[in-house]
Amino acid sequence: MKADKNQGILLLPAGALFIFLLALPLVLAGVESFREFTPGRIGSVGGAPLTLASYAELLHPVYIQYFALTYALSFISSIVAILVAFPIAYYISRRSTPTVRKGVIFITVGLLFLSHLVRIYAIELTFGSTGMFAPLLTALGISMNSREYIYFMIVAGLLQYSIPMSMLILIGTIQNLNPRLLEASQSLGTSAFRSHVNITIPLCVRGIVSVFLVSMTMGISAFAIPWILGRGRVLFVSNLIYSRFNEVANFPSGAAISVIMIILCVVMIYIVSRVATLADRS
Amino acid sequence: MNVLELKRVSKSYGSFLAVDDVSLTIEKGAILSLLGPSGCGKTTTLRMIAGFTAPNSGSVIINGSDVGHLKPYDRNVGLVFQDYALFPHMTVFQNVAYGMKYRGIAASEIPARVARMLGLVRLGSMEGRYPRELSGGQQQRVALARALATDPQVVLLDEPLSALDAKLRLELRLELKEILRSVEATTIVVTHDQEEALSLGDEVVVMRDGRIAQRGSPTAIYNDPADRFVAEFVGRSNWFNAGNWRDAANGFVNYESVAGISICGQAKPNTSGKVDLCIRPENIDVLAAGEPATMDENTMPGTVVDVAPLGADVHIVIDIDHGPRVLAIQKSGSQRTSFGVGQSVRIGFSPADVLVF
Repeated sequence: MKADKNQGILLLPAGALFIFLLALPLVLAGVESFREFTPGRIGSVGGAPLTLASYAELLHPVYIQYFALTYALSFISSIVAILVAFPIAYYISRRSTPTVRKGVIFITVGLLFLSHLVRIYAIELTFGSTGMFAPLLTALGISMNSREYIYFMIVAGLLQYSIPMSMLILIGTIQNLNPRLLEASQSLGTSAFRSHVNITIPLCVRGIVSVFLVSMTMGISAFAIPWILGRGRVLFVSNLIYSRFNEVANFPSGAAISVIMIILCVVMIYIVSRVATLADRS
Repeated sequence: MNVLELKRVSKSYGSFLAVDDVSLTIEKGAILSLLGPSGCGKTTTLRMIAGFTAPNSGSVIINGSDVGHLKPYDRNVGLVFQDYALFPHMTVFQNVAYGMKYRGIAASEIPARVARMLGLVRLGSMEGRYPRELSGGQQQRVALARALATDPQVVLLDEPLSALDAKLRLELRLELKEILRSVEATTIVVTHDQEEALSLGDEVVVMRDGRIAQRGSPTAIYNDPADRFVAEFVGRSNWFNAGNWRDAANGFVNYESVAGISICGQAKPNTSGKVDLCIRPENIDVLAAGEPATMDENTMPGTVVDVAPLGADVHIVIDIDHGPRVLAIQKSGSQRTSFGVGQSVRIGFSPADVLVF
């Protein structure tokens, strides 16, 4: 008991720093979200009355659309990331030689270090309205200024990060899986594909869920990707928060949007984790 | 009738020849032990039969048809893995039932069949449990039930008891044998444990460096090993290097061993040069210094180094004067066990028990 107490003391510096740097600013932002905003001012006035106005206005369809779009595009990119990363990760952890595995992991980690902006502009250069594919797409009758095409560009931007990240997580998950299980399944008359469905995927549920959550979190908090690739026509919630704070200086509104984002995130993580726990009985 | 036949099967990995021209047959309902040290090719042989590894040459024939081109799931071969490889996300019932639906057993029949299989391995009450809730021995039995559940043509057991502790291993060994006999499963047991191989197998195949060193009944493998490798690998053995030999009577010759010790043993047709003489420890009698030996027995003086009473047997280690160190195994309770460390003794063994290589 005494030893436990002493160990607890060791946590104090880290705990204090955590509260001071992370929790405190969030609490202050939370408080700000309930303050009344006077247009023309920068932020709320000191001692402004408390109100739910900033939250009430978020119920307007325009705002709901921001949230829906942010979540929808992040969801699509997360699913695509899993679908692309899983087979590659499987191949790397099971079939490749150690040298190939090391090489791919090295390149993948390298990709993650590459600046966001470089990757975004690389996509713009390739798929944008002046990009190398522009003549081809135009010839095919695909409008590069349509909202759908912009959605595609943004999802491509999100995938630049989420695919390599998903691969790294899934390689770890798959390497922990006993390869004998798949052989056992096949020796019992189940085709290779069916064995993956019955055995590999259920046993990788934890890893797949982690990948999904990380991709989703990355997606819904994306800022520069929609900012640049969305060409001002498609904006994510992060861009909305930015404009609230920086352009309109409506701090309470920006804070309220942030708080809603946090709540939605927690709810999403809770639901997905619950589903994963139910699905994962191993 | 031969259920399984390997015809001149070889498999190499790069320049390493894992299995080298192995031919093998196994009759219906027989249990064959594939014994050898790690790297001898026994597991590769097993994987080629199961279909996970393709041979470079030769053919694998099950029930008369060449299955070489068939995927593992298109062969009906039951497999029990060393680590059991039970599906952790499925219950015991689901594990055992897994193969049935893919092998065309009607869904309505599955519950009764699973119950029968679990009854066979005496786990009738465990069907709702997950593998992690079972002991090692229970997991092993689930793995066996799962492998037998689809009525496989051949059952392959890969080191089936190696993950269990010694006492449980003995119990399960007998149970395993009884179960395999009762369902008349044609079985190959791959193991590096000679006791397991000898006790489970109707026949034993000893492998070395990808080749079959000897095939025979457990008794033949032990009593009449084909070469020094088999003699050393199966059972315990004492060795004397010997060179010159002199004629003796009745098919026996005298071999000159180290330091002038002469050992009488069976004559080998080609004992022209150096030979290795092997004496099993249970064939050595330990005699007190003055005690007379049986007529014709080889005797040599030595000093007791260690006496270890191991229940039924007493293991006595003796340094032969100017010779090697030997192990003698005496039955507990015989007067030939009451020796002290450092005591001068003689060992005696019959010429008929000397194996000459």
